[in-house]
Amino acid sequence: MSAIFQDDDDDSVKLYSEDPAWADVVPIPQYQGVDALAPINYTEEYQDATNYFRGIVKTGEMSPRVLQLTEHIIRMNPAHYSAWQYRYRTLLALQSPLEDELRLMDRFAIDYLKTYQVWHHRRLLLVALHSVDAAAAELRFIVRALQDDAKNYHTWSYRQWLLAHFNDEARLWAGERAWTEELLEQDVRNNSAWHHRFFVVWGSGVRKGDEDREEVRKRELGFAKDKIALAPNNPSAWNYLRGVLDHTKTPYSTLSTFVQLYTASSAPAADVFDLDNPPPSAGAELPSVNALEFLADIHEQEGQTEQAVQVCVYVVLRYTFTKHFVAQIWKSLANEHDTMRKKYWEFRIREAMQSR
Amino acid sequence: MASSGVTRNLRSTPVDGYPTPTSALQSSTETILVKHLPIVTSADVPVGEGEASGQGPALNRQLHLQYLLRNLLQGFPARYASQDASQPWLIFWTLQAFSILGVGLDDRTKQRARESLLAMQHPNGGFGGGPGQAPHLLPTYASVCALAIVGHPGKGGAWEGIDRKKLYDFFMSLKQPDGSFLVAQYAEVDMRGLYCLLAVATLLNLMTPELLSGIPEFIASCQTFEGGFGNASFSEWAFQSDGSSVSYDPSAPRPVIGEAHGGYTFCAAASWVLLRPYLRLYYDPSSHAPKSLSASIIRRPPPTMKLLALLRWLSNMQGIETELGGFKGRTNKLVDGCYSWWVGGCFGLVEGLMGPASAAGTESEGKHELHADEDGWDDVDDALLNREALQEYILYAGQHPAGGLRDKPPKYVMCFDSRHRIPDMSGLLPSLATLSMVDHRVSPDEMRRDNLLRAWKSTVTEGEAIGAAPISEEQIRFETFQKEVFANALCWLEDEGSDKYVGGNVNRLNATQPLFNLTVTHSEQMMAHFYGQTISPRTARNPPKCNKSSPPDSLVAGAKSNITAARGLCCQSPDFIS
Repeated sequence: MSAIFQDDDDDSVKLYSEDPAWADVVPIPQYQGVDALAPINYTEEYQDATNYFRGIVKTGEMSPRVLQLTEHIIRMNPAHYSAWQYRYRTLLALQSPLEDELRLMDRFAIDYLKTYQVWHHRRLLLVALHSVDAAAAELRFIVRALQDDAKNYHTWSYRQWLLAHFNDEARLWAGERAWTEELLEQDVRNNSAWHHRFFVVWGSGVRKGDEDREEVRKRELGFAKDKIALAPNNPSAWNYLRGVLDHTKTPYSTLSTFVQLYTASSAPAADVFDLDNPPPSAGAELPSVNALEFLADIHEQEGQTEQAVQVCVYVVLRYTFTKHFVAQIWKSLANEHDTMRKKYWEFRIREAMQSR
Repeated sequence: MASSGVTRNLRSTPVDGYPTPTSALQSSTETILVKHLPIVTSADVPVGEGEASGQGPALNRQLHLQYLLRNLLQGFPARYASQDASQPWLIFWTLQAFSILGVGLDDRTKQRARESLLAMQHPNGGFGGGPGQAPHLLPTYASVCALAIVGHPGKGGAWEGIDRKKLYDFFMSLKQPDGSFLVAQYAEVDMRGLYCLLAVATLLNLMTPELLSGIPEFIASCQTFEGGFGNASFSEWAFQSDGSSVSYDPSAPRPVIGEAHGGYTFCAAASWVLLRPYLRLYYDPSSHAPKSLSASIIRRPPPTMKLLALLRWLSNMQGIETELGGFKGRTNKLVDGCYSWWVGGCFGLVEGLMGPASAAGTESEGKHELHADEDGWDDVDDALLNREALQEYILYAGQHPAGGLRDKPPKYVMCFDSRHRIPDMSGLLPSLATLSMVDHRVSPDEMRRDNLLRAWKSTVTEGEAIGAAPISEEQIRFETFQKEVFANALCWLEDEGSDKYVGGNVNRLNATQPLFNLTVTHSEQMMAHFYGQTISPRTARNPPKCNKSSPPDSLVAGAKSNITAARGLCCQSPDFIS
């Protein structure tokens, strides 16, 4: 970031106040008649440029030199949202070629990856361009941008917006799920990629080829289980698994066999490999906290179901047993496996005990 | 009490023999963090005064005050030009840090603050990031909160200087068909902006059914499968505009844009708390609602927030022992000081939403008080996060040796709002606010709520008494709503005997009201003014305590001779005294 201030002591800094081309603009100082509290001690260059920006905003001028000025300010402070806003309005007013602006933004996005404005400006440009071709090119650009910062929130949000806004199955959505697989191959703990997968498969309607939802459910549960097997203590994969179950209203108990492979303190002897229930990898550190939590949730869910149909003594007895069993798991989390969340696990126990 | 010296479980986050870029970064961060625990090595702890007294880590109050004073009086160095569009934030953070530390300001400084802030108000309403900048929801929040601290009613007090009419019009100009708001013209929709808008509208008595319509549905649509909230949702499938009118298709997907994130989650939860009176009074799926109310009543059930899923997610954001119990902002990301406030502070909000005190309104209709999928839970007898660990995280890992608090030692990643990424200043307020939150458990108090409701001075019935037009159902409902907005926000008080602070009295800070991030006193003063109410004194649930460790004299003396203007600047805090 400090690179943008490298000209501080450089005599070559060009000031608008010394430029005849700007002589017709009346610069406006920031504070007039106010003894400002906690002021920022700007560089001369920054103060000069923003004085002229305030002057321009006041007269409402929209001209090519305004594009220069706003670019100059944005380069010094990419979070200057007013400069961005005014620049966008000027681009439209001048009917400037927006493709050129996008290419400028390609450089900005890499330099100022973490500002809201640089990504939002792209979005405005894409809306104005109204072109699926441009959107497809943006998806490729994002792939490159994520190589530098695989979890950048703005970049991901922008991609999700692009897909939904242009909503072109063949040209935009088609490769998305496969791409998340690629990213998760590189880093199975990349939560942004997991969220994106959920967005693509479950959040945004039905993708072409995904019409059979039962198949999709099976496929996604299988995918999550395989990823859990690789790294059983990866909360992203467990959360996705839970997300699929919740979204499809599938009882957690359907995964009992799978989960119990991960709640044991050591990996089971692999005599038969069950494709539906992949065992933990050799390096797995067991038991997995996420698995223990999941197991407790299975039994709590079952308890709730049975409670609703308390028809005979047997069920009541079994319910009591289950409740006790669940509490034991939570206690082991609170006191041994996940001590930082002791208070939370104790809350779960209290909650369960209070519900009749 | 301090738990230093207790055997710690220093098992690092499991890698499962399957390292990836995420786990590599995680492991190296844990290695750095663990070094800050005195139990591992006593040599490299940055702030060690507290240890000497055997009381655990100490908040270096003096150092932080000097740091704040330096900024306030000398201004910020040139690198802060990156915050040029966030000037109200710099002022608000500084002022609120003083409030939390229990330090009052002299009249001249307050006046300079008022003038600076009003200079940032835009002629068309709302506040910009600086004078001459476009109005924007985030600096509007920071400005109004800063004015709550330094302003007062009457001439020169700046509260009358806030153009509420234009501010309301500015808000409405940003409203989108799906209930969300742009943060500024031509800008993005953002959960932070929505929270800022609701906090300001609550403080300044600008909440109306018109302003709020669609907001609850929007917020609910932003809860992700993980339980936390993302930044926004995609609206164009459910809301289609043909130029003049907007059609709504409730069956169309409204997918969340962006994964569950601590900052947005705090904003969503705090917004939900502020919306409770609206949820209670303006949703009526039954056909019994009077016809005269048809304009503002929404004839469907209120949307729901999955509270238990949210609580689970929040809980999972607390780092383990090797992360010193700090908070992360997303699954599989690193702990970071700013999330101590956003995520840690969110626990109190969720507990308030679940607990009995905040569940009921004035009328005892138990219908949909919780607006949650899950049933309420009526035994909120303890915090659900590990408070001591969090406090230790900030004190051991977060204090900068030169004053100011940072998000984590040596290396840092971006804070929630990248525009505020300068470590010292952006780290300071969240960290202080977190320490304050850990000190004091602030939660909704049923008795306080009742008192506020009972003491409400009606403006509508007064009008009727002097023979104005008959009062409509609509007006009555609206006044009930205003009254509940007022009581709903101001019933958040400190729990008696809840203070809990590592390191003894030296770490004692003033309580922060989590809905606004102001002290309780400042929230009350501003709201009493804008709602035309007189607030009865609080029966202190916790007796006032002074900051014995930092009397004003020592503070000023400590502020170095080159800051001569500091002399006489500070006095003991007004909070608790009013």
